[in-house]
Amino acid sequence: MNPLDKHLPHTLFERSAAAAFVLDMAGSFQRVTGAMAQLLGCPPAQLLGTHLLDYLSPEAGAPGAQHLAEAAAGAIVRYQASLAPPAEPLALELQLLPQLSATGQVVAIQGLAQPLASTATLMERELTVLFDSIADVTFVLNVEAEGRYRFHFTNKAFEKTTGLPSSAVVGRYVEEIIPEPSLSLVLPKYAQAVRTLQRVVWLETTVYPTGQVTGEVSVMAVCDASGRCNQLVGVVHDLTKEKQVEEALRLSNERFRYAIQATSDAIYDWNVAADTVYWGEGFASLFGHQLLQNPAPFQAWADGVHPTDSERVVGGLRRVAQAGTASAWQEEYRFRRADGSWANVLDRGYLLRDAQGRAVRMLGAMQDITERQQAAERQQLLTQQLAFQNADLQQFTYIISHNLRAPLANARGCANLLPHLDYAAPAFGETLQHLRTSLWQLDEVLTDINQVLSIRDAQDGYRPEPVAVAAVCRQALLGLQAPLRASGGQVVSTIPEALRLPGSRAHFHSIFHNLLSNAIKYRSDERALRVDVAATHDATGHTQLTFRDNGLGFDQLRGPDDIFQLYQRLHPSKAGRGIGLFLVKAHVEAMGGHISVRSRVQEGTEFTITFRSAGNENVFD
Amino acid sequence: MKTYLIDDDNLAIFLAENLIRVENFSTAVHSFQSAQEALAALLAPEEDLPQVIFLDLNMPAMNGWQFLDALTPHQAALRGHCHIYILTSSLALRDLEKSTHYELVTGLIHKPLDRTELRAIRAQLSAVEDDSQAAPAL
Repeated sequence: MNPLDKHLPHTLFERSAAAAFVLDMAGSFQRVTGAMAQLLGCPPAQLLGTHLLDYLSPEAGAPGAQHLAEAAAGAIVRYQASLAPPAEPLALELQLLPQLSATGQVVAIQGLAQPLASTATLMERELTVLFDSIADVTFVLNVEAEGRYRFHFTNKAFEKTTGLPSSAVVGRYVEEIIPEPSLSLVLPKYAQAVRTLQRVVWLETTVYPTGQVTGEVSVMAVCDASGRCNQLVGVVHDLTKEKQVEEALRLSNERFRYAIQATSDAIYDWNVAADTVYWGEGFASLFGHQLLQNPAPFQAWADGVHPTDSERVVGGLRRVAQAGTASAWQEEYRFRRADGSWANVLDRGYLLRDAQGRAVRMLGAMQDITERQQAAERQQLLTQQLAFQNADLQQFTYIISHNLRAPLANARGCANLLPHLDYAAPAFGETLQHLRTSLWQLDEVLTDINQVLSIRDAQDGYRPEPVAVAAVCRQALLGLQAPLRASGGQVVSTIPEALRLPGSRAHFHSIFHNLLSNAIKYRSDERALRVDVAATHDATGHTQLTFRDNGLGFDQLRGPDDIFQLYQRLHPSKAGRGIGLFLVKAHVEAMGGHISVRSRVQEGTEFTITFRSAGNENVFD
Repeated sequence: MKTYLIDDDNLAIFLAENLIRVENFSTAVHSFQSAQEALAALLAPEEDLPQVIFLDLNMPAMNGWQFLDALTPHQAALRGHCHIYILTSSLALRDLEKSTHYELVTGLIHKPLDRTELRAIRAQLSAVEDDSQAAPAL
């Protein structure tokens, strides 16, 4: 046999999956397959040279030798035997085949061994596989006398969790394996299971080498034929993850509760199907509503929305929830407080939708932005007023500079001219007269400036008082008695005697005086002057004073942009400085009012002064 | 030389007329108390164009700027013949700035008009006239 012949078949044989072997004529192993060696529980090299019968149970010894002899004699033999200790008592079917030489002589015995599995052993194996595949820690305890428990079985999960392999645990008493304080805890439970034959369940947190495990432990009694408990089956269901999730949820809920307390917003959770809203504490503290029930009906919220905003807000939300796809919703609206006042609210919600896109819930928060909005409005009003005042001042400066400089320039012109004129010539006297007029005009402008500035100054300490308007009107008329009589006109006032408007008596006097003297001055020569003065309340509760005359009137389209401007003159042919209407407007606005004008050429002019019913509300207060 | 005075202020017209006479600035002075009247006279076909117009800005009904705007369509006919000087009591810089946008405006004078100003204008005009007379020779 060359070395190659010796090796190649050798290797192939040894690697065969079957438990096969070759014996010499005496029955000693000459060759074994790996499977055979595994079956006998010995390395292949150790087996070689040893006797087959050494591995089989002794009671099978005599027949075994007999079977070997038969095979050696050339018969094919098939028989059963079982493995001898220390191997597990496994039943085998053995097949012996005589190996013939070329001359027909038996030179060796080939054999095959096949384990004969008992149904009990098979089931046990299957159970072991099953138990090992279970993620829960599983163990079986034998119940012995005097309340002692010995480990009979542990699964893979047991080893994974405790770090103890089955070989280190099985056969030992529980007190050798389970440390205190767990031991004192579990022993009464075991006893209870044995006594009651009922399943006993408890929660337990134990520190294992692999970490802390919180588990639900259950122990179940297994009874023998006589009905006595001889085994306990224990299962530890690992709840660590669930516990961690639960703890995380608890923490998150706690944080959420604190967040709700920290914010003053009214946080809510609208259950769309039930049409109820669960309110956070903010709802009561923000709006003063005491919730009789929580969750409260959706309609209770809808009823609180201002009627003007209702369709946009409540209707809009319903539509978004029913037909929309958006997940975010936001509106600003007015919401009724418990005391009946209105809060400006910024409401932001997040819609949770199901797989079909239907809104299921909406979580959101109502924020009271009343103060912020009021502050913004005040700011805006203030900015607007400042812008107006600034524009006013610029205009004022421009006008003043012109009107102050015009007579001054004339005065200088006169002074320049005089030296070149003949003292005796008429032009000299005329120029001198003009010089006087210019200086007088200059003085008049300065008086006007003083008057205008004094209105502005007076506003600082201005406090409105109730003014009997009808009486002031009569008084102003008294001062205009002479020119009115000369014009042949009449002024009819229907202002109620009882009417009191908040403001300044002096301001009202100036308004009446200027408007009435203008009406007299700019009357039409074609008809007798008639001025109607009336007080009315408009739809919004504001008080209006109207002055209507049948005088010259003016063309509103082609006239100046603003007839109330200082030194703005409509009728160059009539004497006038163009300060009257400027003063009227200044006085009206100083009292928080507003003045407007309508006029038609040759028909007349109507001034309307509107006061807010609450009187002057100075935003600077 | 023909001069227009446009000013709603009687006194301003009185002063300008007398100064023009004292300085022998112009042989014919036409004064208008409203810009509309002046516009009508200026655009009348039978009228000779004035060489100089003194124009006030602040006037009711039609102010100086509106007068200038109304002249814009006739700019080509007036250019080179008619020199407009704004004569205003205003010292506002924005008026000076605005006046530069009007081609017909030759200058802006703050009131009161004085002899120095008139002489300067006369010198300016004769220089322009010399130029226009010299032009054909080139």
